[in-house]
Amino acid sequence: MKFSDEMLMAYADGELDLVARAEIEAAMARDPAIGRAIERHRALASRVQSAYRDVLDEPVPERLVKLVSGTAATSVVDLAARRAAREEARTVIGGWRIPQWAALAASVAVGLFVGVLLMRGPSAPYEESATGLVARGELDAALTTRLASTSDESNVRIGISFRDRGGAFCRTFHMQREAPLAGLACRSGEEWQVRVLAAARAHQGELRPAAAMPMAVLQAVDASIEGEPFDAATEAAARNAGWQEPSDVAE
Amino acid sequence: MSTPSPSDGVRAELGEMLPQLRRFARVITRNVQDADDLVQVAVEKALTRAEQWRPGSRLDSWMFGIMKNAWIDEVRARRRRGRVHAPEEAGADVGDDSAESRDILLSVQSAMERLPDEQRIALALVLVAGYSYKDSAELLGIPIGTLTSRLARGRESLQAMLGGGEAAR
Repeated sequence: MKFSDEMLMAYADGELDLVARAEIEAAMARDPAIGRAIERHRALASRVQSAYRDVLDEPVPERLVKLVSGTAATSVVDLAARRAAREEARTVIGGWRIPQWAALAASVAVGLFVGVLLMRGPSAPYEESATGLVARGELDAALTTRLASTSDESNVRIGISFRDRGGAFCRTFHMQREAPLAGLACRSGEEWQVRVLAAARAHQGELRPAAAMPMAVLQAVDASIEGEPFDAATEAAARNAGWQEPSDVAE
Repeated sequence: MSTPSPSDGVRAELGEMLPQLRRFARVITRNVQDADDLVQVAVEKALTRAEQWRPGSRLDSWMFGIMKNAWIDEVRARRRRGRVHAPEEAGADVGDDSAESRDILLSVQSAMERLPDEQRIALALVLVAGYSYKDSAELLGIPIGTLTSRLARGRESLQAMLGGGEAAR
């Protein structure tokens, strides 16, 4: 094999330029061992990534949320001092150990808290109203007009659409941002109420788009869905009807 | 704290970034408590130095750099105090989820924990945080060749510890 292992690793990581890539691909056709080596690098990379993926779905400890939001008065301390302080206040910390599904409520609450706190401003994709969070701007537009099959450069992607047990139309969404967010919104009158909002993983090309949905969102869907998610035709029909209930339908 | 300072923008971005910061910290400290403490220390440092951050540059790189340096300082300090990282602490972080897939993932984590810091940090940036080689090398202040060889050595050790890593299909 004339390629170094480092080079095959770089190929697997998508780090080589066109020329080097072409050389490797040509050699791969002649020597299957090269392909196997690359596959091994990719498999290991994805195992390492998966091993830490769950951390993103854990509820963020309140002390960190407060620190960032500026509602906690703390000073710079070193880790040793923090460790000592913690011994005295063990009760609060350790919430992360709760299984994810049990911590659902907490993670939703944190998501909402962070979201409401950080995304005020004229271009915020949602705002607080008397009834909770309501989609605005590009999120509102995407929820109202976009289909799950639409794939363009937009920041908001729609996941699944369905009816909840109360008959309302609901849709999951993913917002590509510096720190991606995902959530579940349901139609209420002329607005989309954001029921769940959580930190999400970034979309990485075609790589498992469904995996980008945080546990909190998936759980909320499971808890509220009536029947099955819409197929493409049902989704399009509901969109074309403006997400309005036919007023005379009584099931 | 009377100034409506540039730190407001930093705060907003940091808030959205907390899950990623926690994950990076988890990889490099190998321990949940240390990881969240490290995030806290780094956020505090970032907020007190918010004016040093150049808007337009990537805040996450800046944060990862702060975290990496803070962790290296901490490791040195612990060594000076004669306190070595207690392995049972890392073990205590393992949940008691008995699902089989969970066990497999945890074994990847424990293999990662056995790598030297510099290899683990390189893998954390490239494989976990998804940084390019170039950005990672820049962040660490090392040549790309050095980064590449740390990555390759780290992966080689992982592969050996995880037993060949044949992709089960």
